[in-house]
Amino acid sequence: MDWFLIFVGGFLGSSHCIGMCGGFALALGTTGTTWAANVVRQICYSLGRVFTYSTAGAAAGYGGWRLMTELRSIVNLQAGLSITAGVLLVVQGLAAAGFGRGLMKAHSGPCLGSRFFAAWLRAARWHSVFLGGMVNGLLPCGLVYAYLALAGSSGDMLHGLAVMALFGLGTMPVMVLVGSGGSVLSWTFQRHLLRVAGWCVVVTGLITILRGVGFLPGMVAGAGTECPLCQ
Amino acid sequence: MKTHAEGPVGCAYCGLPIPQPWWPWISPAPRKDGEKAYCCFGCRFAAAVTRQQGEEGAANWTLVCLGVAVLLTMNVMVFTMALWTQDFYRGEGETPGELALVLRALFRYLCLLFAFPVILLLGLPLLDNAWDHLRHGLIHTDLLLVIGVVASYLYSVISVVREDGSVYFEVGCMVLVLVTVGRWLEARGRLQTLAAIDALHRLLPALARLLRDGEEVWVPLEAVHRGDQVLILPGERIPCDGQVMQNAVTVDEQALTGESTPAIKEPGDAVCGGSLNLDGNLLITATADTGDTMLARMIELVRRGLQDKGRFERLADRVTAVFLPVVMAVAGGAAAWHGSRHGLGEGILTGLAVLLIACPCALGLATPMAVWAARGRAAMAQVLFRHGETFERLASIRAVRLDKTGTVTTGTPALAEFAAATGADRCEVLKLAGVLASSSTHCYSLTIRQFAGQETEGDGRLVEVRTVAGRGIIGRIEQSDSTGSGKRAFLGSPRLMTEAELSWPTSLLAVADGARASGQPLTCIGWEGAVRGVFVFCEQLRPEAAQAIAQLQEQGLDVAILTGDSTAPASVMGRELGVPVVADLLPDGKVAALAEARRRLGLVAMVGDGLNDAPALAASDVGIALGCGADVSRDSASVCLLGNDLRRLPWAIDLARRTVRIVRQNLFWAFIYNVAGIAFACTGRLNPVLAALAMVLSSLLVVTNSLRLGGPADVRSEGARAQSVPLPEGS
Repeated sequence: MDWFLIFVGGFLGSSHCIGMCGGFALALGTTGTTWAANVVRQICYSLGRVFTYSTAGAAAGYGGWRLMTELRSIVNLQAGLSITAGVLLVVQGLAAAGFGRGLMKAHSGPCLGSRFFAAWLRAARWHSVFLGGMVNGLLPCGLVYAYLALAGSSGDMLHGLAVMALFGLGTMPVMVLVGSGGSVLSWTFQRHLLRVAGWCVVVTGLITILRGVGFLPGMVAGAGTECPLCQ
Repeated sequence: MKTHAEGPVGCAYCGLPIPQPWWPWISPAPRKDGEKAYCCFGCRFAAAVTRQQGEEGAANWTLVCLGVAVLLTMNVMVFTMALWTQDFYRGEGETPGELALVLRALFRYLCLLFAFPVILLLGLPLLDNAWDHLRHGLIHTDLLLVIGVVASYLYSVISVVREDGSVYFEVGCMVLVLVTVGRWLEARGRLQTLAAIDALHRLLPALARLLRDGEEVWVPLEAVHRGDQVLILPGERIPCDGQVMQNAVTVDEQALTGESTPAIKEPGDAVCGGSLNLDGNLLITATADTGDTMLARMIELVRRGLQDKGRFERLADRVTAVFLPVVMAVAGGAAAWHGSRHGLGEGILTGLAVLLIACPCALGLATPMAVWAARGRAAMAQVLFRHGETFERLASIRAVRLDKTGTVTTGTPALAEFAAATGADRCEVLKLAGVLASSSTHCYSLTIRQFAGQETEGDGRLVEVRTVAGRGIIGRIEQSDSTGSGKRAFLGSPRLMTEAELSWPTSLLAVADGARASGQPLTCIGWEGAVRGVFVFCEQLRPEAAQAIAQLQEQGLDVAILTGDSTAPASVMGRELGVPVVADLLPDGKVAALAEARRRLGLVAMVGDGLNDAPALAASDVGIALGCGADVSRDSASVCLLGNDLRRLPWAIDLARRTVRIVRQNLFWAFIYNVAGIAFACTGRLNPVLAALAMVLSSLLVVTNSLRLGGPADVRSEGARAQSVPLPEGS
């Protein structure tokens, strides 16, 4: 269930990506000669991002594991990590759904360092585009950080890698579509989509929190399974 | 951007000075023609990227190299993390399974495989830069970095092949990626400090429209020579210095002189390249080759000044020269010590960490970055600093002495009083004076004409006009409304009146005596045997003078005015401005007054127009010339205010103070950071990857701190003062 939610969170959350990084995708399209070539470029670009997300996910998973191994003496560390990640996801999800905009400034302003990537994105070759996407994946993004926290709370490299890869793959379809076909989705529709995505992220966060609570001693073992959403 | 062949040559990318050999007995290998010199690896890299971006269809090889290196490094990191998790499993005493052993070997080989291209792609350019420096007599830390990275790689390869020992593939990869990206960012930041000077350069158009045999020809700017006829349409910038041939037009010279009111240029007037033609077609004859225009000289002056070093820079240079060999020794010692105790691998890593953290980039950048940013900022505000050292001096001045005429006052006199003789028609006197004055361009005539224009319209016709040098104007006026032939009228000094044998009415005599007593110049008008009117002039204070002087006093400076005029009018002006005035000074008296102020207060800045007060400017600690305008190479001044706005003066002092403050911050930070970093790295607890990251952050901190100078003035500390100076757009 939560794997599916992660993918859906990425998929629907890509309306957020369009707002933040859609400019890059569109810039890619300007160099492509044919429609097919453009789609290939878009896919390369997105795969570059997915690669960075996956690496970061693996690193986060490793970091979580390391933390749990090193600080074994602190009880309930995994519970704490899970709950923290869950809270981050909920906050990010609520922000995406339109709440607390005053608190979160992540949605204002254009992408940072766009001039930096332009060199890669304008290049004709597909490998440059892949590299551009890869570097683009390093851009600060609240949604990515929330999912990275989730990857870290797993405390497992492979699990973390899978979380971020799935999230990245989820963002691909809409980004490729927008990049190759221009504005398929209207602005209002994107906003609605973003709201739905926000709620998906909130649900993912809640599940993570519940799972974290389940780790706490004194709770009934398998509290997570009692959650109606996880069944 | 042009640089002259002679003199010191800057880096081909950022223009900063290229480091000189440390030891004088090393004679650097001469550079071949067309071979570009770079000050650092970052500039070399950035130049490669820019060059390829400029070429159409280029493979963008440099960026791809970096991108591929980043990609492979990320893979290496993932494999290394996987290796680490396995190490930890084993560390707990569990025996690793068969699969874990196979995976471990696989990951180690994969790391080896993936790290190799990274070393080649990023290590070779770094080595290339180090080699270039070595050929020119400089041992660069880059060389040691490459050696360290390669050593750690080779050590790891041996470990993999022997299937025993630790691997450090990720260290080499991460260090190379971080160093490359960090230096690149640093070079771009440095280039940004030049943005202001580039903005000056952009004032000149790339092409000029020449008029050859009656036909318009577009030629590149470089092809414009002295004597060429250049046509400029409205809205275009004038490409070169020249003299107006046809048409009177309005020209905006704000970028060059800071003067916001457009100037009217008539045939015969000189125009400067870079100023904007506002209306009408303008035909000029070029009076200078393109490379020799005022703007080009100005840019050259600024750029050339960047090459010379102030006290702080020389200090940093000296420290760097000692610092590097010391660091190399420390790194070698730390590597040997840790190597002998914890194995070769640890030793290599420790040495590498010391080198990385001690890379003196921040130390070397501390001063030039700040001074550069400040000079660019000043140039945008039409303030030229001749030497980098001037900032330090200007920041520490304690007193300011201002010349009166032309500095605190405008060059044009104002009318203090107009008196008509009893019985004469005031209007008629003014009308005649206005008509007579209109035939002369003398500054008093201009003022009279303006005043007469306010009072009445001069509708007479002037015939038989004659100018008597040093005396005034004589002419016969035919008036449309008068009968018969006109009167023979005289406008000029009292001496002209005496020579024309005109009698003085007692009322006017009193006025003239009063003016003479207070040292005010006067002009008289008379006809038919009698003086009919007297104009008394006074010097006109610059409108912003009071504000500027108040600001200077607010800055804690001792301000006084020096003048050669008599005491009476000078003290009136002093009371008006609230500053002491020292009057009756001959040029050498001004020099003595400056020496006295220096003895009593400390460093003294002298402000003048740089012409009649050149000795005083030269004798002061900082000579500041006002209204240099077309003559930026006025040598007696070390600071040139291109325009006439006195408020630039407190602004410039403030800029100098901020610059010195930022230089101190930079030096302090760089020094503390280096010493603490080296000590920590010597303990062997600092991972080289973290050291590389810290080095990048340190350099970026210095660059960013310096770039603050390039931005708008710090509102908190300067308040409304700095904001009140109108600055050109884009500053």
